[in-house]
Amino acid sequence: MSLLSVKGLKISAAERPLVSDLSFTVAVGERVGLIGESGSGKSLTAMAIIGLLPRNIVASGSITLDGQQVIGASERNLGQLRGSATAVIFQEPLTALDPLMRLGRQIEEPLRRRYRREGLDPKAIKHEVLELMERVALPQPERIAAAYPYEVSGGQRQRVAIAMALACQPKLLIADEPTTALDVTTQAEILKLLDSLVRDLGMALLFISHDLPVVANVVDRLTVLRNGVAVEQGAVRDVLGVPKNPYTKTLVEAARAFDQALGRTP
Amino acid sequence: MSAVAALPTRKSRRSWLFALGLTLVGINVAVALLTLVWLPYDPSSTAGGRLETPSLLHWAGTDRLGRDLFTQIMIGSRIALMVGAGAVAIGAAIGVTLGVLSAFATRLLDDTFAAAFDILIAFPTLLLAMLVVAASDTASLWTAILALGIAISAIVARLTRILAKRVIGMDYITAARTSGTSWPQIVVKHVLPNIWPTLLVNFALQFGIAVTAEASLSYLGLGAPPPNASWGRLLQEAQGTVYTAPFGAIAPGLALLILVIGINLSADGLRDIGDPTRRGSR
Repeated sequence: MSLLSVKGLKISAAERPLVSDLSFTVAVGERVGLIGESGSGKSLTAMAIIGLLPRNIVASGSITLDGQQVIGASERNLGQLRGSATAVIFQEPLTALDPLMRLGRQIEEPLRRRYRREGLDPKAIKHEVLELMERVALPQPERIAAAYPYEVSGGQRQRVAIAMALACQPKLLIADEPTTALDVTTQAEILKLLDSLVRDLGMALLFISHDLPVVANVVDRLTVLRNGVAVEQGAVRDVLGVPKNPYTKTLVEAARAFDQALGRTP
Repeated sequence: MSAVAALPTRKSRRSWLFALGLTLVGINVAVALLTLVWLPYDPSSTAGGRLETPSLLHWAGTDRLGRDLFTQIMIGSRIALMVGAGAVAIGAAIGVTLGVLSAFATRLLDDTFAAAFDILIAFPTLLLAMLVVAASDTASLWTAILALGIAISAIVARLTRILAKRVIGMDYITAARTSGTSWPQIVVKHVLPNIWPTLLVNFALQFGIAVTAEASLSYLGLGAPPPNASWGRLLQEAQGTVYTAPFGAIAPGLALLILVIGINLSADGLRDIGDPTRRGSR
């Protein structure tokens, strides 16, 4: 049975369709990519999955997450799903962290909720915060735990955000353009980290990006979105190796041309 | 490089002003507490000469009836602190609650709240005070504090609503929600700490306004009744003799100025502590 199953998802704002008839599944431990240019409805789909669409945007169709229907679910049920079934990593770590809360406490918050949920001894929380920070390869965890977001680098902020997501121990990790705001070197590091963490912890991953090479390295299967419509779906090898849809072809060719210009072989 | 060199000076100037602010407020609090146990003269004793200039016997001179002005100013500092703190406490409690509720409410409810705040702000404080007095039969210091508190609450509510709305739209609130944080927790842990620094400065401003507004209420008999000498009433009483005995107006004015400056400097300092980005490097 799949962990996440999206069937005939339609998202619209004031009768204007933003995503239409989107279907895909993510199995337990599977890594799936959602790719498309900005405005193609990738992030909206992510928000719909966790039931956090803005009030004026409506979703219809079916989204089952960990056996529960998300569309039309009560706020109470959604609150239980969020953090236990899923956690999200956002694009811009500076704005996704509370500017006035020490980083250690920000990791502590979701951790505390999980401890309460699972009836664990809260005394271990402080220790696990530092453990999580080591897990995401943050140097000097004690110093960074006491720092505010503006005091550390962009890459370190994203590592903190990943630690916050890991604190939830979600079954599905949604990464919404997690490397877009970072420079290329940091990007590679964060991707490697995400990749190894997801493998080690056996989490499923929904990776959302506009960046073809990035997605290709991380996921097993992918869906290509354009203007809210899935134009191509399948295993990474098939979709990017032998693209059928003209839009996917253009994307792949553009990525290849870019690689050649940089003197790399794809 | 010069910007780096300039930082420590700016920081030390800030902490110097904060210390000054705390000292000024501290003096006021000390004097207010002192009045509870000791006063230089009986406040209603008319033993001094009329409209005397400051001397060793009467540090701030005497009023029209020969009462010691310094004694009255000391009592006034107690009243000023009560009015300021009381009105701001009431205004903050009502205002922050309504403002946050409004920011989280549905569109229709939020618009209704916003309109209510605007109407209340447009409503003259004096009229409000008269309504409060009418409702409670007698005018006292408490009716004045309540009326000022309600007037302040509308301003605080409107500010809180706007500030909270901006914070709610931030990514970190969405991020907190995706990990299962409930709305009440979001308010306590993320919204209030992030709007607090701005609110605090506004509270200091309202404190000063409340102290001065109590003066107008007293003048109309809607404030503290005699023999409670509020600084506002001292100012009003000195109005008629301001050319012959200017010190009667200068002394309470100076006391008011010192307290308001003290409160404002302290609030600035507290805001800097509440906002780590303004705290300078550690």
